[in-house]
Amino acid sequence: MSGVRQVVGMTGDEAVAHAVKLVNPDVVAAYPITPQTIIVERYSDFVNNGEVDTSFISVESEHSAMSACVGASLTGARVFTATASAGLALMYEILYVASGMRCPIVLAVANRAFSAPINIHGECTDQLVCRDASWVSLFGESAQEAYDETILSFKIAEHPDVMLPAMFGIEGFIVTHALERVETLSKQQVEDFIPASRIVRDRFCPDENKTFGSLVLQDYYMEIKRQQEEAMQNAFKVTKDAMQEFSELSGRKMEIIEKYQLEDADYAFVSYGATAGNAKAVVNRLRAKGEKVGALKIRLFRPFPSLDIFQALSGIKAATILDRSATFGSPGSIVQTDIASALYGKEDVPSLHGYINGLGGRVLTLPEIEEVYEMSKEYNNIGMTSTTDWVGYRK
Amino acid sequence: MTKEAPDEFSRWTKEKWGSSQLPMGGTVPYHTAYAYKTGDWSAFKAIIDKEKCISCMNCYYYCPDSAIIMDDNLKAECDMAFCKGCGICSKHCPADAIEMRRVTR
Repeated sequence: MSGVRQVVGMTGDEAVAHAVKLVNPDVVAAYPITPQTIIVERYSDFVNNGEVDTSFISVESEHSAMSACVGASLTGARVFTATASAGLALMYEILYVASGMRCPIVLAVANRAFSAPINIHGECTDQLVCRDASWVSLFGESAQEAYDETILSFKIAEHPDVMLPAMFGIEGFIVTHALERVETLSKQQVEDFIPASRIVRDRFCPDENKTFGSLVLQDYYMEIKRQQEEAMQNAFKVTKDAMQEFSELSGRKMEIIEKYQLEDADYAFVSYGATAGNAKAVVNRLRAKGEKVGALKIRLFRPFPSLDIFQALSGIKAATILDRSATFGSPGSIVQTDIASALYGKEDVPSLHGYINGLGGRVLTLPEIEEVYEMSKEYNNIGMTSTTDWVGYRK
Repeated sequence: MTKEAPDEFSRWTKEKWGSSQLPMGGTVPYHTAYAYKTGDWSAFKAIIDKEKCISCMNCYYYCPDSAIIMDDNLKAECDMAFCKGCGICSKHCPADAIEMRRVTR
């Protein structure tokens, strides 16, 4: 029934599949990979049962999946796909084609560690390394956020000022396979939020003389790429507005960054994805001990909300950045370096302490996060403005 | 097959339009690939002996650029505006009817 809020128990993957069902895209082309498989498995059930109007294309690889998505999207179709880890890596070449040809494809990523050693569990490196591919990039903490971001991503990607593909990530198994409480929306609500009729730019059509993907060399390439940067800048406001509209629609507050007990805080955790839940739990424990600490959760990773993060962290003494991603030989963890760039040269900003943790699904327990917090305070006390450590592994 | 590009199109190139004026994503909204005569840089050309052609159409299907056309008598012909001289047709021709000849400029 329209307008009546239903609460359902769903895993993260199922939540994505059900949200896509309400969107009812024209084409879904996907290849199975753990921990994403359930998304397209459930969705192919919907297709087979005639519950959606989608053409489901079974492809032979992720490279083909994204290629099929690009082709479909160029005809003006609404397109969805999903992948993880090695699958996303195999798509990498076509990610740039999708954004370069301005295809508003939506991609669900079940964040999983890269091989080798082979591992199927949660880690966000796969999505973070796609940061330069000109895709709008979001992270979700829970099955609920996976559900919401699925619908939201179409809204952002298809906006005429953006027309860029969008990906959103949920951590493998931690979110994708955990059964959680999800508040659903009605079909009518989703149709009102992302109407079927929309502005479709130049599209691939047999009756029209147009060239897509033509050779563009030194004399025009940079102009075309600059268009993408401007679209990405536009995506910032579009995402903010879309989240505002979604909040009103769903009754759930949705913001590009989520601030938890930060108003009077001296210290802060910064995280994204499922880790943000643990960070908030640790804030509660530390607050009970009288510590003035809060947490900041990043939901929008690209375009990076530099100003919002600066404002949120302004006045904080030390920030503990919990980064569930691996990078080697870098000046800091992936998200830490972005935050450092956003804060550089500004007054009244915290010292930044990045912690690479949770790789391959490793759990960083709440007491361990408390220890990490104490480390950050100590670093700050001795005047270190930027540190990066690996935590939660055996030496 | 293809329509003439409007004057506006020649203005893009003459005036060197920038990012705010060019169509989104490098799309050319006036032509299909049929309008781009891409065979002008080849080092070899496929020369087909129609007397030898047995109309098997192997060359027609193998040509990566769709440069082979079948004439009214179902004999293979090569559209030189698109032939890039790769030689696949020649390799596959069972009747040995296609010779790759070096282009002299």
